[in-house]
Amino acid sequence: MGPGLLGYTIRRLLWAIPVIFAISIIVFYMMRLAPGDPVDTILGQRYDEERAAKLRAKYGYDQPIIEQYFTYMNNLFHGDLGVSTRHQDYSVKEVVLPKMWVSTQIGLFALLITFGLGIPVGIYAALARGTFLDPLIISSWLFLDAIPVFVLIPLCQWFFALKLGIVDLGYDGIYSTHMIMPIMILGLPGVAGVARFMRASVIGVLGEDYIRTARAKGLKERTVVISHISRNALLPMITIIGLSLPGITGGAIFLETLFGIPGIGQESLSAVLAPDFDVVLALVLFGSVLFVLANIVIDLAYAVIDPRIRLGAGRG
Amino acid sequence: MALAPTAEYFPTEDFAAPKRWAFAKRLFRKKLATIAVVYLAIFYAAGILAPVVAPYDPNQQHVTVQDRRQGPSAEHFFGTDSLGRDLFSRVLYAARTTILFTVAVVLTGGIFLGLGLGLLAGYRGGWLDTAIMRTGEVLSGLPTLLLMLAISAAFRQRINDVSFWLQDNTFLGEDSRTFVKFTILVGATVPFAWIGTSRIVRSQVLAIRESSYITAAEMMGANTWRVLTRHVLPGVLPVFMVGLSGGMAGIAGAEVGLSYLGLGIDPPAASFGSLINDAGFVRTFQQYPHLLLASATPVVLFFYAWNLLGDALVDILEPRTTRR
Repeated sequence: MGPGLLGYTIRRLLWAIPVIFAISIIVFYMMRLAPGDPVDTILGQRYDEERAAKLRAKYGYDQPIIEQYFTYMNNLFHGDLGVSTRHQDYSVKEVVLPKMWVSTQIGLFALLITFGLGIPVGIYAALARGTFLDPLIISSWLFLDAIPVFVLIPLCQWFFALKLGIVDLGYDGIYSTHMIMPIMILGLPGVAGVARFMRASVIGVLGEDYIRTARAKGLKERTVVISHISRNALLPMITIIGLSLPGITGGAIFLETLFGIPGIGQESLSAVLAPDFDVVLALVLFGSVLFVLANIVIDLAYAVIDPRIRLGAGRG
Repeated sequence: MALAPTAEYFPTEDFAAPKRWAFAKRLFRKKLATIAVVYLAIFYAAGILAPVVAPYDPNQQHVTVQDRRQGPSAEHFFGTDSLGRDLFSRVLYAARTTILFTVAVVLTGGIFLGLGLGLLAGYRGGWLDTAIMRTGEVLSGLPTLLLMLAISAAFRQRINDVSFWLQDNTFLGEDSRTFVKFTILVGATVPFAWIGTSRIVRSQVLAIRESSYITAAEMMGANTWRVLTRHVLPGVLPVFMVGLSGGMAGIAGAEVGLSYLGLGIDPPAASFGSLINDAGFVRTFQQYPHLLLASATPVVLFFYAWNLLGDALVDILEPRTTRR
C-alpha cells in the first residue's frame, strides 16, 4: 500500500477530529443545559430534594458542566463510556452493544435488498433509456421512496397481517418469519436511490470507447452488459455502499418503535427523551467515528479494486 | 431521511445551462414532471390560502360521539378526527406548516448557508474551502435524526419561558408557542440542510471560476462580491435549483418525522406528522382508514412531486443522460 493515498485520506480525515470534538462539546452542553435531568426521570413521583441531591452528587451532575465534560472525556479515553441512568446504572456498553448488534443484523439484510435490487434495476433502466420503461421503473420506485415509513408500516401491517393474515406481528427474534416484513420495509424504499445512481453510472459508461470496441468485436450483448458495462459502472457504487454501512449501526428509529424491535433505534429515541446523557453522547460519537473509518476503508477499497488509481498518487 | 442530495449526480464538467425558455419547454415535455408541477402548484395554493379555503376552523372540536371520527361526507370532505375537528381543514393547515417550514429552511440552510458557503468555498479556495467542506463532510456523517431529536428535545424544555415572554412582549400572542416550536425545528434541521447544496454549488463554481469572463471581470477590478453575484451566481443557479428540488422532500420530511414523534409542531397546530401519528396505528387504521389516508396522501404526493421534479431537472441539466 503506497503511503500517498492513505496519507491523503488520513490528512483529509484529520479534520474530523476537531469537528467531532466540537460536536461532543456542543451536544454535551446542550443536553446538560436543558432543564430537567436524568435524576428527575429516575425519581419521578418520588422526587424529594435530599435524594435528588444525593443522586446528582453520585453522577457528578452537581459539578460545573466544564468539569463534567473533562471527567467524561477522561473516562472516554480510558474506554469508559459511562453508565445508563435509564437502565439502573448498567454501563453504556452493556446497554448499547447488544441492541446495536440487533439493528446491525437487520440493517445488513435490508442493505442486501436495497443494493441487490437497486443495482439490477438501475442497469435495466439505463439500458431501457429512451423507451417508456426507463421513466416508469424509476418513478415507480421513487413513489415507494416518497412514503414515510411510519405511513408505510401501518398500511403493510394492516394489509399483510390483518387482511391477508400471511405474516405475524410482534418481535420474535431476528431469524424468524416475523422479520420478513420489517426488513422489506427497511430495504425497499432505498432501491430508488441506488437505482438512480446506478442508472446514471451505467449511462456514463455507455458512452465510453471500450463499450463500442466490445460491441464491434462481436461480443454477445450479455457479455458486454455484464462484464464491460456493469463491472465498470459498479465502481462508484463503492462509495454509496461504504457510506451506508455506518448508518445501520444507528438503527431505524421509526421501524423499531412501530414493530417493537429491541434495537438501538428504539433505545436512542428513549435515551433522547429520558434524557440518558451518556447513551446519547456515546451514540453520536460512535456514529461519527464509524463514518470517518468508513471513509478510510472506501478510499483503500478504490485503491485495491481500481488499477487506474495509482498507489502513492494523491487524488482530488 | 437524507437531507442532502448526493453530489455524485452532478458531474461538473459537462454542465451547460440551457436558455430559460428552452428549459421550461423541455421540462413540460416530460409528462410526469408536468403533473408534478401542477400538483405542487395546487399544494402551495391550498396551503397559502388555507385561512380562506378551509371550510371550518381547524381547531374547533366537537367531542360528542357522533361527531368524532366521521367518515368522509359532503360536509366534511375528509371526515373528522378523533376530537371531531374537520380533517380537510386540518390538512390544509398542515400544508401551510409544511410550506412555512420548507421556506424557512430553504432561506436559511439552502440559500444563506448552502449557496453562500458553496460560493465562498469554491471561489476563495484554500483553507476556507477546506474548512467548509470538511466540516460539512463530518456533519453529514453524524447520526442526523438522532441529533435532530436531541436538539429538539433539549430546547423544547425551555419552550414555556420563551413563549410566555413572546406572548406578552410581541405581536405573536396566541401563536407564540407554535412559533417557538417552529424555530426549534428549523434550528434542528438547518445544520444538516446546507451540506449537499453547498457541495453541488462549490463544484459548479470551481468549473466557472476558470472561465475567461471571470478573469475579465477580475481584471477590470470587480470586487469579490460583484464577481460572485453578477458573474458566478447566474451560472450556479440552475444547478442550485436542481439540488434544492431534489432535497426538498428530505427537508419537509424532517418536520413531518419530528412532529410524528411529538418533537415538532404538535396539536392544536396542524402538521402532517401529528395528523399521521393520530391515525397511523394499525388498529386505528383498521377501524378508521380515512384518517390515515386523508392525512398521508397529500404529503406523500408532495414528496413524490418534488422527487420527480428533481429527477426531471437533473435529466435536463445533465446532457450526458439526455443525449442519445
